[in-house]
Amino acid sequence: MNQAAAVKPAFPDSLSLAALAVAGLLCLPLAYVAYMALTANAAIWSRLWTTRIPELLFNTTALALGVAAGTLVLGVSLAWLVARREFPGRQIWEWALVLPLAIPTYVLAYIYSHLLGTGGPVESAWQVLAGPGSHLLSPHSYAGVTLVMTLDTFPFVYLLARAAFLNLNVSYEEVARACGVSRAGTLFRITLPLMRPAIVAGLSLVILYVVSDFGAVSLLRYQTLTYAVYQQITGRYDPTAASILSLLLVVVALIFLVAERWFRQRSRFFQTTGRYRAPARRQCGPLAATLATIYTTGVVAASFGIPACMLAMWSVSAVSSGAVDARFFGFVWNSAFLSGLAATCAVLIGLPLAYLASRRPSRVNLLCLQAAYAGYVLPGPVGALALLAIVSNLAPFWYGTAAVLVIAYVVHFLPAGLQSMEPALQQVTPNLEEASRSLGFGTAVTLRRVTLPLVRNGFIAAWVLMFLQSMKELPATLLLRPVGFDTLAVRVWLEASEEYYQLAAPSALLIVIMTIPAILLLLSKDWRAA
Amino acid sequence: MFQSESMPSNEPARQSTNPPQAHHRPTVLELRHVSCIYGSDRPAITDISFAAQEGEIVCLLGPSGCGKTTTLRAIAGFEPVTAGEIRLEGRLVSAPGHLIPTEQRRIGMVFQEYALFPHLRVQDNVAFGLQHLSFGERSAQVRLMLEMVGLTDLAARYPHELSGGQQQRVALARALVQKPAVLLLDEPFSNLDPDMAGKMREDLHDLLRRTKTTAVLVTHDHDEAFAMADRIAVLNNGRLEQLDTPEAVYHTPSTPFVADFVGQADFIPGTIEHGTVQTEIGTFPNQTGYPIGAQVVVMIRPDDIHIVPAEKSFAHIVARQFRGSENLYTVGLPSGQVVHSSEPSTTVYPVGTPVQLQLNATHTVLFDRDLHP
Repeated sequence: MNQAAAVKPAFPDSLSLAALAVAGLLCLPLAYVAYMALTANAAIWSRLWTTRIPELLFNTTALALGVAAGTLVLGVSLAWLVARREFPGRQIWEWALVLPLAIPTYVLAYIYSHLLGTGGPVESAWQVLAGPGSHLLSPHSYAGVTLVMTLDTFPFVYLLARAAFLNLNVSYEEVARACGVSRAGTLFRITLPLMRPAIVAGLSLVILYVVSDFGAVSLLRYQTLTYAVYQQITGRYDPTAASILSLLLVVVALIFLVAERWFRQRSRFFQTTGRYRAPARRQCGPLAATLATIYTTGVVAASFGIPACMLAMWSVSAVSSGAVDARFFGFVWNSAFLSGLAATCAVLIGLPLAYLASRRPSRVNLLCLQAAYAGYVLPGPVGALALLAIVSNLAPFWYGTAAVLVIAYVVHFLPAGLQSMEPALQQVTPNLEEASRSLGFGTAVTLRRVTLPLVRNGFIAAWVLMFLQSMKELPATLLLRPVGFDTLAVRVWLEASEEYYQLAAPSALLIVIMTIPAILLLLSKDWRAA
Repeated sequence: MFQSESMPSNEPARQSTNPPQAHHRPTVLELRHVSCIYGSDRPAITDISFAAQEGEIVCLLGPSGCGKTTTLRAIAGFEPVTAGEIRLEGRLVSAPGHLIPTEQRRIGMVFQEYALFPHLRVQDNVAFGLQHLSFGERSAQVRLMLEMVGLTDLAARYPHELSGGQQQRVALARALVQKPAVLLLDEPFSNLDPDMAGKMREDLHDLLRRTKTTAVLVTHDHDEAFAMADRIAVLNNGRLEQLDTPEAVYHTPSTPFVADFVGQADFIPGTIEHGTVQTEIGTFPNQTGYPIGAQVVVMIRPDDIHIVPAEKSFAHIVARQFRGSENLYTVGLPSGQVVHSSEPSTTVYPVGTPVQLQLNATHTVLFDRDLHP
């Protein structure tokens, strides 16, 4: 019955070969960028080192650290509030605080560039208070970009910190109290140190997100490495300089990733086994409840409520002025078609990788899976640059087709999908399939009646996730799309760049509305478990 | 064969059990009519009263969900009381609407899972609550404490590098170094394998005696309670059923629940007749004030019944369970009632043997027949 396992094939079978090929393909863009950068003329390197690189590195790092600090404060304090305190409306806020994840950075950026911009509502209100001629922070500054990115990414930290607050065995805190340490002392000496791995994981997500973000920095005109790569490709047609900056960007992202891995390894805490008791929420007094409500309401309003209202208002006036026409539905179709195609391809490509890694975890198969995660450190413009170069060198007739764009999406978003497909496959133990075989069913029937039903939900989640990510994707779409083939995301960015805020709104609102149920769906799985 | 040394003494040793001069020692902990009733999801306790003198070890014994852990957490100040009051060292610490925070109660706590801080070394775990001391004083106390529990060599290790027994000793050291007024232990042996638990039980008892620590220990294991306690409080359904010495709890349980929970017991129906109790297996002296004709049950422990093979007996052996140090026989009576008898390890009779029962209980434990489930 177990022939396949007993007789070990001397050379890789067709499935392994397919996985190897896919992994190679997924790594190709990264490898090509590195190759282009390293074989570039030394003069270009030294020119970039003396002109652009110091400024770009500084800007990128400063933005990453600033946003990290902001999300740390917001995310951890909000998580503590909803996980450990009880106040009216707590359940609503606990849930509403993840909604900013539904707003792409370029949407939030363009709304804030209106809100905080010269002559915008916030500045007008401020000038009533502080007198004409006074200015608040400009959206086109370091502070402005940091604010926008912080409001958009704090849910990463919030979610992981909240889970950690809820999962922490309350005995640790009770023991600390029994040792004579106050509530506040316990929080800082026990709870937060024990949560460190979760907080660091959240921060590293934020930093990776910020470093590779293109939408917000391009709309707010803040020079980071990602933005510079895009400009080198579009404005200067200088793929060599772009590849050098790309390599630098990948290295920066890798440094953050490796640092996070190292830290997590170092501070991996072993929970002593035993029974677990969930912490109880403490009731807030009237004053504390008011403050908590003001704080959470303010954050939700700034990061989701007000932007969503602005989008809705603008959309209404755009609709009444006839902006939602056949052309608009064409963009919707383009987005849906491209994203659907990319998600389907990615699931099909991810399947052999995830299957082999979970069923036959040989060194080669695991390496293939790791290679698929290369897209993680490949920000949109970098992947686009690599594909542009590869296609124009090897297959020029593909240039400017939707196929290239689909490949870019797959490379970029497969890691996110794999994270959902891998556990789904892992939970199907071989025993289950063997049990079905022992009951007299063949491989095909077993696959249909046992394996597929079990992995279905994980794969659907992966598909939805990759569909939405592709739909929101901006830089690669801008660079690789066939002429005149605009998607919703591209329209938002193009209209917003020209400050046609109302025209951008319907597309942006559609993206946000489509993303919300998916986010709730993905969260609901580990919401209460956390 | 019938008088081997392993025969348990039936003499209830009730007088020698209290710690010496217990009555002259100050009361450290006192619960007066304490009730904790929250929601249906948490075990409640109702009207619990007991006190612990300095150096005394009190065990809260009962099945899961009986409220013993709730009682312990109320003493620690983790749960507010809904009625009654708790006093520690004479100070009112818990009453309805009044809750002194845990950190101001001078208690030590050892959790079932020990809850050693995983990010701190053993020495830092022990030093955790000594922040108010100078560095030198702190490390001196930690060193002393680690010496006392025999962990000096492991001071620089992290908790996950220790065995279960070592982790428990660190948890003990961390609690005791505070010199708590009362040490609270929540099922401290349940995470250890039985051999280790027995050893740790002895060590803990010795340590508590040496440090003259007042302790309240929660357990569901009557053997553990017998081995550790000066007095046992048996809880059931949130109520205190009996508070007594281990020997009294075993030999003269006050309710059928206690009788059944602290050891094997048979309940034989009987009727009161002129100062005696008539039952299927014989006549018992009636030592309690039941009226003539009352329907009662007599509680008998296996070590109160001795069996002897007899040709024409009405009772016969139904089953034998070999337990190493003893043989536990199940004996069937004509009415269908079964009783158990504990015989020496080497006394082996085949199943089906007709036997005569010899009763040697020195006191009769009677319950109302209606009370017995």
